[in-house]
Amino acid sequence: MSAAPAALARGLGRARSAERSVWVGWGGVALGFLAFYLALPPLLIRSAVPSLVVSAAAVAAGAWTVGAGRRRLGWGAVVAGVFGAIGAVAATRSAVGNLENVVVWSALVAAMLRYATPLTFAALGGVVSERSGVVNIGLEGMMLTGAFFAIWGADQTGGWVGGLLVGMLAGGLLALVHAVFAISLRADQIVSGTAINLLALGITGYVFLHDYGNQGTPEGLPQAPDVHLPLGGIPVLESLQNLNVLVWLSLALVPLVWLAIFRTPLGLRLRSVGENPRAAATVGISVLRTRYLAVVASGMLAAMGGAFLSIGFVHSFSQNMTAGRGFIALAAVIFGKWRPGGALAAALLFGFSSALAQRLPVFSPSTATLLQALPYVLTLVAVAGLIGRSTPPAADGVPYTKE
Amino acid sequence: MHALLGENGAGKSTLMSVLYGLYRPDEGVLRLEGEPTTIDSPRRAIELGIGMVHQHFMLVPVMTVAENIVLADEPRRGLLLDVRAAAERVRELSDRYGLAVDPYARVGDVSVGTQQRVEILRALYRGADVLILDEPTAVLTAQETAELFKILRALTAEGKSVAFISHKLREVLAISDRVSVLRRGKKVATVDTAGATEESLAKLMVGREVLFRVAKEARATGDALLRVAGLEVDDDRGLHAVRDVSFEVHGGEIVGVAGVDDNGQAELVEALTGLRRPLAGTIEVAGHDVTAAGVRGKLAAGIGHIAEDRHRRGLVLDFSLSENLCLREYRKPLLSRLGLLSPKKMNQRAGPLLEEYDVRGGSCDTLASALSGGNQQKVVIAREIAQEPAVLVAAQPTRGLDVGAIEFVHRRLVEQRDAGRAVLLVSLELDELRSLADRVLVLYDGQIVAELAPEASEEEFGVAMLGGGQREQPA
Amino acid sequence: MSTPVTVASRLSGYLRGGGIITPLLTALVAFLIGGVVVAITGANPFSTYKAIFDGSGLNWLFPWISSTDRQTAALNLQQTLLLTTPLILVGMAVAYAFRAGLFNIGGQGQYLVGSFAAVWTGSTLGGLPAVVHVVVAIAAGTLAGAAWGGIAGVLKATTGANEVISTIMLNYCALWIGVWAFGLGGPLHSSSQKSVPISNEVLQGAKLPVFWGDAELQGLHIGFFVSLVMLALFWVLLNRSVAGYEARAVGFNPDAAEYGGIDAGRTFARVMLLCGAFAGLAGTLDVLGWQFTVATNDIQNSSAGIGFLGIAVALLGRNTAVGVFFSSLLFGALLNGTSVRNLDPAVFPPELAGNLTLIVQGLIVLLVSAPVLVTSVLALRRRGARGEPKEAEA
Repeated sequence: MSAAPAALARGLGRARSAERSVWVGWGGVALGFLAFYLALPPLLIRSAVPSLVVSAAAVAAGAWTVGAGRRRLGWGAVVAGVFGAIGAVAATRSAVGNLENVVVWSALVAAMLRYATPLTFAALGGVVSERSGVVNIGLEGMMLTGAFFAIWGADQTGGWVGGLLVGMLAGGLLALVHAVFAISLRADQIVSGTAINLLALGITGYVFLHDYGNQGTPEGLPQAPDVHLPLGGIPVLESLQNLNVLVWLSLALVPLVWLAIFRTPLGLRLRSVGENPRAAATVGISVLRTRYLAVVASGMLAAMGGAFLSIGFVHSFSQNMTAGRGFIALAAVIFGKWRPGGALAAALLFGFSSALAQRLPVFSPSTATLLQALPYVLTLVAVAGLIGRSTPPAADGVPYTKE
Repeated sequence: MHALLGENGAGKSTLMSVLYGLYRPDEGVLRLEGEPTTIDSPRRAIELGIGMVHQHFMLVPVMTVAENIVLADEPRRGLLLDVRAAAERVRELSDRYGLAVDPYARVGDVSVGTQQRVEILRALYRGADVLILDEPTAVLTAQETAELFKILRALTAEGKSVAFISHKLREVLAISDRVSVLRRGKKVATVDTAGATEESLAKLMVGREVLFRVAKEARATGDALLRVAGLEVDDDRGLHAVRDVSFEVHGGEIVGVAGVDDNGQAELVEALTGLRRPLAGTIEVAGHDVTAAGVRGKLAAGIGHIAEDRHRRGLVLDFSLSENLCLREYRKPLLSRLGLLSPKKMNQRAGPLLEEYDVRGGSCDTLASALSGGNQQKVVIAREIAQEPAVLVAAQPTRGLDVGAIEFVHRRLVEQRDAGRAVLLVSLELDELRSLADRVLVLYDGQIVAELAPEASEEEFGVAMLGGGQREQPA
Repeated sequence: MSTPVTVASRLSGYLRGGGIITPLLTALVAFLIGGVVVAITGANPFSTYKAIFDGSGLNWLFPWISSTDRQTAALNLQQTLLLTTPLILVGMAVAYAFRAGLFNIGGQGQYLVGSFAAVWTGSTLGGLPAVVHVVVAIAAGTLAGAAWGGIAGVLKATTGANEVISTIMLNYCALWIGVWAFGLGGPLHSSSQKSVPISNEVLQGAKLPVFWGDAELQGLHIGFFVSLVMLALFWVLLNRSVAGYEARAVGFNPDAAEYGGIDAGRTFARVMLLCGAFAGLAGTLDVLGWQFTVATNDIQNSSAGIGFLGIAVALLGRNTAVGVFFSSLLFGALLNGTSVRNLDPAVFPPELAGNLTLIVQGLIVLLVSAPVLVTSVLALRRRGARGEPKEAEA
């Protein structure tokens, strides 16, 4: 029986080193970025040697973290180190002019935030719905509905707030359809979510063409305004000076949704319904009502993401304009482990890859496109559990019956 | 403290679920403190001061103890949940009734005994005056049971009423003041515990004095067909479920495996039938080592398996009867050639089996889900016996069946024994084991703690099944 | 006693649901609601549906129409069958997965990858004799699709990765790989059209022969027969083969299948491999039969693509071979009948009609998703002819 104390001691050691491995892991990730950063403007070190040393340190830190049991973070650091090295070598070999053209940090950060915003909204919606135990493949459709009806509403009401509300209402209604089928009729949630996407595509396309014809939405419809902050000239914060109000709203919603899910009575009930609906029912919680609420809220959140696209970003609508962003949001939900903060981090990562893809064509137009696939590849890796498994709420996707 | 006693399936749990508003009664009146009331939802039951501790805990493993307890009746601070107040209240309650828990621990991380305390605390937190416990000791160790009883006594001393559902005589005698006995959904009697004995209660519970015996002749046993040595098996959670188990089953005998549920029976059966890979030890069939073989290998070696749960494992309910009957041999050249199945041959195989085993309510093309439980089990048994296995492993083969079907199953098992096969019968029903088996192994905490003759007294069995009087070893 | 919950077992009520009445009713309700939408927006639903029907060329089957009408109808019907061909295949790609308890949303990605491989091999390898070239290109496209589906299957088998998520992600991976490969500066970008993001054209020797209609006017190619043969094979696979028996057993009840000695993981991998092959073949036949090139615009516009339609086809066809054929025909006709070329704009604007197709498709999928609806329809018809099986006490 001497094995037991030894195992216990090892376990305790691991528990103590857990804190440390988090720091080392994140340090590794930071080093990986630093390696790349050294070779970029404004520092622009024209030799790859310092970067390679730093990235080697990043890989080492990552390997240690993996060894300490934090696989996802550890591999993240290793990957950051490798990419840092590759990026730095590539940067030192390309012309300074090109580099200064592409790597405009303030513009990159601003673009990242803009690309991340629709994803953040919809991913928050996904988190809310799946935490209650209803899988929402229909995020894409709810987003698209929000996008169209926000601009349609802005047209009808003559103000962007009215537009946003109309968009949210439409998204909520579509979500209600999903809720009726997924919750009350105990439909297969994936199938009914797929149906929601098809319906949204058809309905928005139909009404759009019927109301606006081939000319598309007219110019000069009300738009969600930008927020001007006097931050010009300050190195990093500069990028935040001209962002849309909806960008800020999405960022503000992340802690709010987190609070709602993890620190309010309603959130506690929501999670209990998603984890063990029968347990929730035995203490008197209405599983159906809670799930309805969550799904409709999720539709409204997703619709806000769509509304940002149409009245905050592009200022027009075109058929199928969400083009798969709802599925990236779904990916962000999974990659972010069903947590609002995690979903935001994933949305920012995916947003950054989009922003980079947008600016990279200076070097190689075709490779930039491949960057667009990054969110999907990363999510594939995440669901496969290669870098630490993402575990959904226990009752996610299971229709509830009273027996 | 009132105990409710009855056999498996006597209606105890259903009755209590009605009290807690989970099911609605079809008719009848319920009185609480003399007032007729209706309880149509758990919420109403809580309002009336009824709390329930479920047999399968109704807890959320990923949430903390405090979160589980305050769920649906949370202390608030403004719009937010007051986590600190919740923990404080839990601590108060646990101090008052002597139920030690850590409010901030995750429920999934604490022991089963602690989870049960969490359930009790949850009922108390909601101000329950009447506490219903549904087979609370089924999942507990002897030590935990003793502790639970201490808690329950403390609760009654505080003026709470406790309804205690069980089918264990000794526990009922030890803890309760009065006992109601249920049999087949009807109350047979209510007696004071003071004047009752194990025998008198058992008589009320079973409704007959003598054990129901299957006509069975003594037989000389043959060679050891199944030999298990030093078997070690882990369960799904990676915990040691079967520990150093060794035994033999000879041709022409039925060996029973007794034990309280969840003491390693399922894992033992799965290891024997190839569904689970053993960590160590050997399994031999008629002298051949088949330890490492999978399902197909074990089957080919001659191990048949009547699965414990015919809906989950024994049958594909959406398959036709002939498809189900061929589940174990569809790959044999008899039924398929070059990867193609012959429905005609499958029916030719299935038809006579359905007749021989008197499966009623369907023919070859009927879906298995359309049959009654008894007939479904006949299909499973027909399929397994048709393989003519040297060793037949029967796991709870009569669960949920009516008397007629049970008799059928028993007769078939004895037939197999008389045909010189080795039968391993795993059951939770002591009566069944004592009437069918030639000898009975008692499994406790994954180990064989005793081998008893079927004639041994209930007392002896009970002691062995609860750990044979040995003290809990420190983990 | 809890039975395991799989897509297949949840949909099994619908699968069994007596004969063709349920799917017919489902389609009818969907078209009815579609008609209401048409009426609300001011058009006549009857003449609209009539125009769509005529546009699909299905009136060719009527003996009484005039010979000039018959000529137009023949042209239209060729186009409808041209669309039916890949629909049958992607329908099977979804249906077979459903039968094994898997949800293959990845039909679109598998279709795309198949078409990429087909256009690549079809536009190169010029030295091969015609028949060999066709066979090589078909094999390449089919295998590519199989590999793409196989990724999801193998991931499910080895790591338990949810196939719904992985196939969605694989769809978009395929999409961006296509946009990259055939886009400007991409490795497979056209050598003749420098400013158009499109692939090279399939060489003459790799094109599928046309057997009905004019090859210049997109006549019906022999791929139609290929998909019919595959449909027959699908029936055998599902109902008469060991592999199909294992797939269905795993789909209905993985635990019981394991008890029967079936390795669920290996079955998942095998099933997804086959599903991918079906969808890949669909993309291949489209490229070799009438599209001849792959343009990145089309790739990016695939939210309502052929591959996604496979879901509706499979569900409406109750995941059976015969059902898949008829629902492919229905959706092929609907797609073609509402196309800009075939729908009379005086009756109903074709742009709107395309979206009407999406609405009808969505409604069908929605109605099929709820087994309760289907079983209640069945219960009405039977009025409890069969008692519920007795549930044993837990």
